[in-house]
Order: sequence, then C-alpha cells, then structure tokens
Amino acid sequence: QTKWDLPAAYPAGNFHTENLELFAKDVEKATNGKLKIQVHANASLFKAPEIKRAVQGGQAQIGEILLVNFQNEWPLFGADGIPFLADSYDTAAKLWRAQKPMLEKKLNEQGMMVLYAVAWPPQGIYTKRQLNSAADMKGLKWRAYSPATARIAELVGAQPVTVQAAELSQAMATGVIDSYMSSGATGYDTKTYEHIKNWYDTQAWLPKNAVIVNRAAFQALDKPTQDALLKAAAEAETRGWANSRKANGEVLEKLKANGMQILQPSAQLKADMKKVGDQMLKEWLEKAGPEGQQLVDAYRKL
Amino acid sequence: MRRLLDFLYDGAAWLAALAMVGVLAMVLLSIVSRQVGFHVPGTDAYAGYAMAAAGFLALAHTLKRNEHIRVTLLLGRLKGGARRGLEIWALSAGVLLAALFAFYSVRLAWVSRSINDISTSNDATPLWIPQLAMAVGTLVLLVALVDEWVLELRGQRKSVESEEALHNE
Amino acid sequence: MNDIAVTTLLIVSLFLLLGSGVWIGLTLAGVAWIGMQLFSSRPAGDAMAVTVWGSASSWTLTALPLFIWMGEILFRTKLSESMFRGLAPWVSRLPGRLLHTNVIGCTIFAAVSGSSAATCATIGKMTLPELGKRGYPEDITIGSLAGAGTLGLLIPPSIIMIVYGVTADVSIAKLFVAGIIPGILLAALFSGYLAVWAAVNKQRVPVPDQVLTFTQKLHESRHLIPVVLLIGAVLGSIYTGVATATEAAAVGVVGALVLSALQGSLNWGTFRESLMGATRLYCMIALILAGAAFLTLAMGYIGLPRHLAEFVRGLGLSPFMLMIALSIFYIILGCFLDGISMVVLTMGVILPTVQAAGFDLVWFGIFIVIVVEMAQITPPVGFNLFVLQGMTGKEITWIARVTAPFFFLMCAMVLLLWFVPQIATWLPARM
Ligand code: NA
Ligand code: NA
Repeated sequence: QTKWDLPAAYPAGNFHTENLELFAKDVEKATNGKLKIQVHANASLFKAPEIKRAVQGGQAQIGEILLVNFQNEWPLFGADGIPFLADSYDTAAKLWRAQKPMLEKKLNEQGMMVLYAVAWPPQGIYTKRQLNSAADMKGLKWRAYSPATARIAELVGAQPVTVQAAELSQAMATGVIDSYMSSGATGYDTKTYEHIKNWYDTQAWLPKNAVIVNRAAFQALDKPTQDALLKAAAEAETRGWANSRKANGEVLEKLKANGMQILQPSAQLKADMKKVGDQMLKEWLEKAGPEGQQLVDAYRKL
Repeated sequence: MRRLLDFLYDGAAWLAALAMVGVLAMVLLSIVSRQVGFHVPGTDAYAGYAMAAAGFLALAHTLKRNEHIRVTLLLGRLKGGARRGLEIWALSAGVLLAALFAFYSVRLAWVSRSINDISTSNDATPLWIPQLAMAVGTLVLLVALVDEWVLELRGQRKSVESEEALHNE
Repeated sequence: MNDIAVTTLLIVSLFLLLGSGVWIGLTLAGVAWIGMQLFSSRPAGDAMAVTVWGSASSWTLTALPLFIWMGEILFRTKLSESMFRGLAPWVSRLPGRLLHTNVIGCTIFAAVSGSSAATCATIGKMTLPELGKRGYPEDITIGSLAGAGTLGLLIPPSIIMIVYGVTADVSIAKLFVAGIIPGILLAALFSGYLAVWAAVNKQRVPVPDQVLTFTQKLHESRHLIPVVLLIGAVLGSIYTGVATATEAAAVGVVGALVLSALQGSLNWGTFRESLMGATRLYCMIALILAGAAFLTLAMGYIGLPRHLAEFVRGLGLSPFMLMIALSIFYIILGCFLDGISMVVLTMGVILPTVQAAGFDLVWFGIFIVIVVEMAQITPPVGFNLFVLQGMTGKEITWIARVTAPFFFLMCAMVLLLWFVPQIATWLPARM
C-alpha cells in the first residue's frame, strides 16, 4: 500500500478542496486501497507558495497549486491571470486546452506532471463607487495582491495598496482600501458586503488551481494504479469545472441576499477595461517571448 | 582565535540589528506610501525577509549571552561532575541539532538557486538571496555551540547570568 | 505502530530533552525530527528547512519584533515613573489607596506593551520602592504586581495574541479588540479584591501622605499625558485606517522613540541597548517558533492531531467538560512551559478539537490568553515570578504564595468567560 500526502492551501469547505477529497476517495476505491491520498487542507502542511517546491523536492508526492502564483518564475504560469484574455468559463476552458501541453512540458523539465486543473469563478470589481467608465476608478484605494492587480491600478490611475488577506476585512472597515478585484466567493468569505456594496461582474479572468504530482513518485506506481489515478483525475477535472459554475451561481445569490449589488459593467467601462487588458497582454507577450505568442495563437485558433 | 570567534558572533548580531531596523523601515514605508499616494511593490515581503534575517543572524550572539531559554530545573540542582555531565549532554544534543539545522538551511538556499525558486508575491525576489541569512545564521549558531561544547569540556565555560530574558512575554 | 505508543515516545523524548537542559527551540525541532524519521515515510530535513523559512519570513509575524522593540525602548524611559505620579492622587480615597496603583498602572501600561513580564518589570521598578517607602505591606504589593502584570497579555497589543492569531489563522485585529473588555474586567476583579483585602486588614494600610484638591490632582495628571498620547497613537492609527493592526507596531516604535527623545532619555547608548535587547529577545522567540513550526509539520505528516481530535470527539465530552479539561491541561502545562511554547506546541492538536466542538476561535483565543496569564505566576517556571525574584530578592515560592489569590481570580475569570461569552465576542462582532 502506498500513502501520498496532498497539501492544499484552501479551507475544507471550499469547492476545490471538496473536489480533492472526492478525487482521493475515487483513487482509493479504484485501486482497492493500494494508493491512499491524504488531503491536508487549509495550508496545514505547506503554505500556498511552498506547495510547488514541496512536490518538486518530494516532500509531498502530490499537491494543489494556484497557477498564477508562479508567474514570476515563468510567465506562462500566469496566462490565466491576464485580464480579459479569457473572460468566461467557455473561453477559460479553451485557454486551458492551449496552455496544458506547454505546462506539461515545463513541469516535466522540473520533474513533475500535471494531473488536472479547475478554474476559480470569474473575477469582478468590488468598489464603494459607481463605475461608468475607467475614469471613475481614478484615485480609488485599490488592493494590489499580485503583479497583475497592481498593474491594473496603475493603468486606470487608482492607488495600489498592499493589504494581506488576513487583514482584508479590517482594511475595508477602516478605509485603508475601498476597492479590489476578486471573485464572488472571496467577497462572501471575507464579508466584503459589510463594507462595500457594489460588485461589477467584469469576468476579467478565471485563475486555475492545478493538481501536480512528482514524476518519480508517479513512476513508482504500477501500471494499473497509474491508470486509475489518471482516470480519477480526468473525472475530477470535469466535476470541478461544473462545481465551479455551480458554486459561483450560489455565492452570487448569497451576496445579493446580504445586500451586495451585482452589476453588469456599462459598455463604456467594458471598452475601457478591454483597453487595459490589451495593454497588459502586450506587456505580458514582451515578457513571455515566442512561447507566449505561441500560446495566445493556439488559444485564439480554438 | 577567541577574538575572531567573538567578532563573528557580534558581527552577525550587528547585521541582525540592522535587519531589525530594516523591518521598521519597510513597515513605515508601506504606511507612508499609502498616505502620500505612491506605491512600492513588495514592502511586505521585504519586511518578512528582514525579520527572518534579524532572527537567524542573532542566534549565536543570543546563545553566548545565555538568553535562549531552556529548562534549568535539574541543572540548577546538580553540582560538580553530575552537573558537568548533564551540561555536556545538553550541549552535544544542541550541537547535533544545530548541525542538522545548518546543513539543511544551506541546502535550502542552494536548492532555491538551482531550481530558480522565486517569491510568488509582488517583489519577485529570487529566494536564495534572503535565505542566505538563514544559512549563515544557523552556521554561526553551530560554531557557537561547538565553541561552548569545547569550553565546557575544558572547564573554561563561563556562565552568564542574564536579566534581559526576563522582560519578554 | 499505534497512536498511544507514538504519543508516548514523542512525549518522553520531549521531556527528556527539555528536562536535561537542551534549548527549547532545538528540543522542539529534535522531537519533530525523531517523529518524522520514525513514523512517516518522508525525509525530514528539506521539509524542515522549507517550513522554518516560511514561518520565519512570514509578513504576518512582523508585528512581533516591532512590539518587542517598542517595549525595550519604553523600558529605558521614565514613562512608568511619570505614570505613578499622575495616578497616585486619584486612588488615595479608594479602600486600599495606593495599592491600586499596581493594577491601574499595569492596565494602562498594558495598552502600550505586548508582554506580561515587561509590564510587571516596568511598573514594578517604580511602584515597589514608592509603596515600600510609604509602608505598604510587601506581600500584597508584590502579589498584586505579579498578578496585574499579566494584563500585558490580555489588553491589546499582545505578543501572545499575535502568536495565537498566526498559528490559528484568526484575525489579530479581532483578537486585540476581543481582549479589551475581559482585560478591564479582570483588572476590576483585581482592584475589587484589593479593596476587600484593605477593608479586612484596615490596620495594615498606611494613611494617605497628603490630600490634594481637585485642581491639584488635575495638575498632577499631566504626567499621564505621554502614555495617553502613545496609546492614542498606536490604537488611533489602527482605527483611523492609517495603519493595519500589524503595521501599528511600527507606529508604536516611532512613538516610543519620540517619547524617549522628549524625555531626554534617548541617546546612542540607550538606542543601541534597546535595539540589541530587542533583537536578542526576538531571536530567542524566533528559535522557539522555528522549532514549533517544524513540530507542527511533523505532526501533520504523522497525523497525530487528526487522530487525537477524532479520539476526543469520540469521547463525546460536553463543551463545558472539554473547556474544564483544557483549563486543567493548560494550568499543568503552564507550570513548566512559557506561554509562547504552550500555544505553539498545542495548537496543532487542540484547534481541530475545539473547532469540532463548535468553539468560536476568537473566544478561544481569549481563553488561551487567560490561561497563559496564569502560567506567568505559577512555579516553577513563571516569568513574572522570575522578574520579581530579580527585583526583590525574595524566594520564588514566597512570591508564588502571595500571588495565589490573583491566580484564583483568573480561574474565576475563565468561568465567567464561559458563562458570559459575550465578554469576549461582543466587541469584535461590532468591527
Ligand atoms: Na498589552
Ligand atoms: Na508557570
């Protein structure tokens, strides 16, 4: 019997984590208990930025990572974090199909494999102001928690502010920030509705969690176990995308019930944000080089 | 030799103190930048690295000043040879653990460099650079513990009574 | 190997290493090492380095070294002396008179200091000689000082709350706010006890040395201005949105430096001493935190906390019984360990259990802080006892005995917190 540890960064109730638990159960059942995967949710084993390295170094055989977290290392990890490149579940699925072979190649070089990836719900703008165009965003105190969110702020003339996730609620309550970009789920979990009443459903990007595995650990399994693992992973991917859509629908209802206005962006705001997106895509392509161009071309052909 | 060693511990401690000032500077910078309206990406990450440097680089100096806490209930009751025996045992265990700590800290920075591990937040720092402080700090701690061990064996170890440790908690 | 054997082996190695005088941080790492090598299939070394680095460089902890530094600066100013002069005229009419200066002084100083022993030492340095000069009996002055000094942990800012908040992933700002009412209530319990004691022992309380008019009292209160300004700067920066709860520590350091400069006690010598003192103190705590982070990781691999939580859940203790069991467990632990080790060592095991029992984690944080406060005054290892032993030269057993009434008041506070949980939860819910 083989035992694997699977560190994950998100809490037990999150739909990604629930999916991981089901995946682990499926694998155990399909292999008659020959491969047992223990999920360590909520960063209880390793913290989010450490998980990729832990899998690479064999401290964990398998792990779940947020791909965009690793864009500093290789820009293509961050392809699903470029605003307005893929702005719906359908286009995000296409982007993943274009991204996957290149990711597989990169992870292979690092001694890892990717099993599956599932998108987070689409990102919108939480703000205390009414936004009719990007000009209305000038001077907003904007939480910048990643290179992309900081750059958006710069491009629209908002002030990027660094606030850690742990202090988000307090920062909103005391006015340290008055706007940030995230999914409906984050807004609900952090009780954003107590301080900010508007959410613009811009569907700016859909970041993905990927489940990666140490290749040596994978190759140490016998063939039937490997096949069972890959089959369970494929099922988890399908299930995960469906659950993501479902979770998004539910959480938006819950936000509404708590007084949050779910707003569609105006045509002007959409056009302005598209311009921001184009600029950021251009900058990203400069950084990512021919590989990046290849990815965008492949995605646009799908 | 003695002077060289003392210089090593104190030099590392001075760097640690400088890092402590660095923590303050980074946090102040993030407060001020928000008030004045400019943005320095990564101040939070730099504050974290400086804090790590402050902790690790001062390890040996703190040990030499007898300010790392330990339970001295039994040690305090023993006298003569028994006390020395127990001290040597505690120091030996300390040397072994510090050696493991130092070896894997050096390896951490080494592996970070070879696999190109980069900070995932806004600062995008190659992690082996701040991790050098951990590698150096734990190595100096190892040297200090070996130093104490040798002094104890030769019966030259001075016990420093520290009052500083008392105003913590 | 079954869980009981694993647990026994780890606890035995923990006590062997600790008892034989191995440094606490290294002991924790050693136990983690033994556990991982023997009971998990993973190699320990690289996992240790990754985890220790991650916890040592985590931004959320940066308030810890800064609050320590602030305490070290204030320790070298005349802040406590001026506080005594400002407070003394106001308590001369209360039963027990100047005895209350310990409690009120510690309560106020606790609002700028994150630590119990620093509060005890700073206030004691001023009040003990003054009270002794005026003929107040030693047993009650030293006892009330040891007890009230622990308020440094409960009234924000608080080092132990930061450590708990980081380990348990609870908002530190909420914990800080949650500590205010219990802190004031506990101070009131202490003062109430002193008043009763004074009523019973009338002949032991000296007569007031001078009676001031109201205007004179107000005039004397000017000595309280510095400390009030400092409290205002730290808390004000949080609640006006200038700084987050973590960043407020930097405001505190700057405030303490300014205060020290205005009082004329800031020079290169005191600055260097405070900086080096803070660096060493933080380093001492950092080594323990590093060992504890590794131990938590090892526990995660071995799966002990999970199994223990399942075991306790299986016992079906009522929440009240669980709370009583935990109190006894922590009081015993607190006799031998310092507060930070107590928290970081046990959280990995205890948190899943209390979460399963439905405890609110902010409430539980306050509960933990109060039991850690008790640990400061229980022998043989109690930091406030050490401080007072250093300051007065009394035997630790004698100090522990005169402090005992305050220990029981804290036990009462735990029960009160259980039956009226709103004491801790009402204020943070309004944030
Ligand atoms: Na305090
Ligand atoms: Na104690």
